[in-house]
Amino acid sequence: MRQLYTKLLPLLLVLGLSGCGYNAFQTLDEETKASWSEVLNQYQRRADLVPNLVETVKGYAEHEKEVLTEVADARSKVGSIQVTPEVLNDPEAFAKFQAAQGQLTSALSRLMAVAENYPNLKADQGFRDLQAQLEGTENRVTVARNRYIESVKEYNISVRSFPNNLTAMMFGYKAKPSFTVENEKAISSAPKVDFGNTK
Amino acid sequence: MKKPFPLRLKLILETLNNLHDGSELHGIMQVNVMLKLVQWVLLVLSWIALPAFSAPMAIPALISPVTDLTQTLSPQSQQSLAQKLNQLSKEKGSQIAVLIVDTTQPEDIAQFGIRVAEAWKIGRDKQDDGVIIIVAKADRKMRIEVGYGLEGAIPDLTAKRVISETMAPRFRQGDFEGGLNAAIDQLTALIAGEALPAPQKQSSQSGGLLEWLPILMFVAIFTGMVLRSIFGTYAGSALNGGALSVLVWVLGGALLTVGLVFIAAFIFTLAMGGNRGGGYGGYPTGYGGGYGGGGLSGRDIFSGGGGDFGGGGASGDW
Repeated sequence: MRQLYTKLLPLLLVLGLSGCGYNAFQTLDEETKASWSEVLNQYQRRADLVPNLVETVKGYAEHEKEVLTEVADARSKVGSIQVTPEVLNDPEAFAKFQAAQGQLTSALSRLMAVAENYPNLKADQGFRDLQAQLEGTENRVTVARNRYIESVKEYNISVRSFPNNLTAMMFGYKAKPSFTVENEKAISSAPKVDFGNTK
Repeated sequence: MKKPFPLRLKLILETLNNLHDGSELHGIMQVNVMLKLVQWVLLVLSWIALPAFSAPMAIPALISPVTDLTQTLSPQSQQSLAQKLNQLSKEKGSQIAVLIVDTTQPEDIAQFGIRVAEAWKIGRDKQDDGVIIIVAKADRKMRIEVGYGLEGAIPDLTAKRVISETMAPRFRQGDFEGGLNAAIDQLTALIAGEALPAPQKQSSQSGGLLEWLPILMFVAIFTGMVLRSIFGTYAGSALNGGALSVLVWVLGGALLTVGLVFIAAFIFTLAMGGNRGGGYGGYPTGYGGGYGGGGLSGRDIFSGGGGDFGGGGASGDW
């Protein structure tokens, strides 16, 4: 009888775990990680464009110090944040990361808006190239973020629904943080050109 | 929601109308009452589903590489562009698709573009070598959506230049066909420079066999004549059928096709008849019919191969 138990127990455990969503967690967890690294990739790509962009704008609009330093600051802040996979399981660190990236987003859009006032800058081939690259990268960021949001949604639904939530509790799987709506708005809305403030 | 509500509504109404036309079973009165009732229900349903109307535009189904919802291109130019793109898909494996819509509102063209890309999956599965050119006529905006695998061959910068230097000037003059044609040529040249695996034979199986059809016909005529004169009418015909079906099988035809070819070739050779002149006169019609049919069923089907997009490319206006 005891022998039968020792044979059945692993089997039951395996069946029980897959029935309780443990295996689904593994798949979905990996998926969120993959889509997260795509987000990071694209943010990195954007950060890499910034120094060149700042240099080019400086050449034509040197006295726009305010915006230029804002971009440079935001860029260095983004660079200083250590992004480890643990960020995904830590809502606070995630919020910090998101805030820093959001700051760079708005600083960059302000910079591009300011650039509109300099016809020579706008006509510069180097600047136009950078502009096209920045546009493409921002679009990739949006796509990567949307895909991350989708994958987290799927993961969170799986973790939170019954009876999977019991398994999740047992093994310490928590719901993952996602990008918030306010930030989404800031990214998808067009930059505002305020002629009152620009000199 | 896979199908947009208005479209489904239309479909249901059309079905109902068809029912109405062919109503032998019910009296017309009865059908009318039923129709009214259903229309009522649909009306109520459409109120409930009203928010769906402000939802993003539905993505049209992919049938041809050139989808023009605005009737901007003439049928001829649409066909010539499609032929060019089919050619690329067949020879290089990479795919380019063109979509002309009136507007992408309420979405941005980039948001719309990625949705089109996710729905159509232009390009091959692992190569992700697809490109979609989208033109929103009323918005005066266009976008080139580049698949993951071609982001190296067509960087955002290059896509932007194709838009601003090739498409925009022509579009401004109303020359949409010329702009698209030139853009397709440029993109094709860029893709040609990229080392990509050759297209798989399997994917163009039916098209490939149909391409061989005219040659097979000639082979059938000559081997038929020779075999008949050596082995006599019946044995010669059977041998000819066998030889041709083996040839088709070697070319990659399915078993059913091979069987059909055997029967067709057998009858064909039999029908060649003793009178050489009369028999010969019969061939051109058979040849023409077969080729035309092949053109319809084999060539014109265009579908995405599972290519992924990550938002690469560029947008512009004119």
